[in-house]
Amino acid sequence: MTSPILDVQDLVVRYKPRGLFAATPPPAVNRVSFSLPAGATLGVVGESGSGKSSLLRAILRLIPAESGSISFGGQDWLALTGPELRLARQGIGVVSQNPFLSLSPRLTIAQILSEPLLARGDRPGADMREKTALLLSRCGLPPDFLSRRARELSGGQAQRVAIARALALGPRLLVLDEPTSALDVSVQAQILNLLMELKAEFGLSMLFVTHNLKVVAHISDLLMVMQHGVVVEAGPTEKLIAEPGQAYTRELVGVGRHFAMSTR
Amino acid sequence: MTLLDVKALSVTFPTRTGTVRAVRSVDLQIERGSIHGLIGESGCGKTMTGMALLGLLPQGARIAAEVFRFDGMDLATQAASLRGRRIALISQDPAAALNPVLTIGRQMDDVLRTHGKQPKAERRAAATALLAATGLAGPEQLLKRYPHQLSGGMQQRVVIAQALATGADLLIADEPTTALDVTVGAQVLTLLRKLVAERGLTILMITHDMDVVAAVCDRATVLYAGLSVEEGPARAILTDPHHPYAAALLAALPDAVQRGQKLAAIEGRIPSPAQTLTGCAFAPRCPSVLSVCHQTPPPQRGSSDHRWLCHLDRGAA
Repeated sequence: MTSPILDVQDLVVRYKPRGLFAATPPPAVNRVSFSLPAGATLGVVGESGSGKSSLLRAILRLIPAESGSISFGGQDWLALTGPELRLARQGIGVVSQNPFLSLSPRLTIAQILSEPLLARGDRPGADMREKTALLLSRCGLPPDFLSRRARELSGGQAQRVAIARALALGPRLLVLDEPTSALDVSVQAQILNLLMELKAEFGLSMLFVTHNLKVVAHISDLLMVMQHGVVVEAGPTEKLIAEPGQAYTRELVGVGRHFAMSTR
Repeated sequence: MTLLDVKALSVTFPTRTGTVRAVRSVDLQIERGSIHGLIGESGCGKTMTGMALLGLLPQGARIAAEVFRFDGMDLATQAASLRGRRIALISQDPAAALNPVLTIGRQMDDVLRTHGKQPKAERRAAATALLAATGLAGPEQLLKRYPHQLSGGMQQRVVIAQALATGADLLIADEPTTALDVTVGAQVLTLLRKLVAERGLTILMITHDMDVVAAVCDRATVLYAGLSVEEGPARAILTDPHHPYAAALLAALPDAVQRGQKLAAIEGRIPSPAQTLTGCAFAPRCPSVLSVCHQTPPPQRGSSDHRWLCHLDRGAA
């Protein structure tokens, strides 16, 4: 773990007031700072309304930041515009919660996987077919899936396709928003295994957002707990789980404890 | 005393291409005053089993069972009339269970009016008392509120209060905490446990979450492909599962291994409900499969307290 691939300092995200005379709402993300070393996985844990999705959207430049700075791969990420931003964005892959919403039901898997390549300007042809088949097999699906459509897949298979698509442009950072929440336990295990393999193989950095502390603790090197838009606690996963410093973190860690102790 | 007694329940849908078996054979014996977990993944028939108990199966469903009794009454004919009187549903999404355009007071009153002949003032007092019993602060003011003004946890408490208002003694709770934040979900589970202790309620807890089972269930049944494959005390199932599927399900959880280690995923898929099973339903995915598993259905093993279906003889429970 060397220099940070993603460095966020004092980031503030605030949504617009609802009406002309409405009061300015409190910030959704309030002075959040963190640094993600290259090749590491940062887990962001928080409940609904904690600001974790707003944080992700600001990092993806889908919503503007009010103040603060973001640096991605050494670049001033918030200053990039137009074609520069478009090019730099290829460095980030995104996987969302529900693969059936993020994958078009009309397109074949081949089309879904070629889309980012075509958008970059690659030519369609044998090379692209080979590349998409390779991506798919790397994510654990046989090449004959290329001719299928998303609705013919199970939840786990569809999420594998979504991960393959996120990897299509060779990103350095993978942003995962609740990637296993919609999946069954046995399938969740497959997807987590796949993510850990990909991380090791491609040296990917990951930003993993979820409300499930156990899942994120399993896969993350660093953890960050958010509540009401602020970072409550952050640190190495082991330390945070073993000795949570804040009451809220203790509560989150405690929820799943029954099982570990196997008592009631 | 056994409140719910179900043996070999099946729910099938005849279609042009053959019979679809949503539930193949489910057994449930639930004691009064206990919480019984019904564990399974998508497509295992857990929700369909709950709907059968409520008499809410979709049109065209065919139901069959050797025993299908609730408190001595035959559910096959009386499920619909018991629903909302003796058996109530707590669904996964409280926002969908409540009517968005009516106040909480009106919705509570609707339930109470259907179930008793009390005058209005008494019903109002009853509604307030029930909301307070579910741990809601300021129940008086709450009566005037609309569902969207409440948080998810508060909405779920209102749904529970409504279920109590019916006077039901069996609650079918279908993933009652899945849509809630983890800390809020834990509070709702604590509430359900308290209601069981105080009011002698019985709950069938339909869930895929082992933490829920560990937190509140007395006994549990593991479903796979519409079959009850293992049944026993919740603690025994969580710590010493005997059916290979139950064991695999627990091994797939992130807390089963060291952080960052490979998880034990279950490869393959559940058999389609349209498929006729010749041997064990889990055989194609089972790590300890024998040749006999593909040919004949597995025998029941264990004791009446903890039993499972498997060809492997792993000794007594």
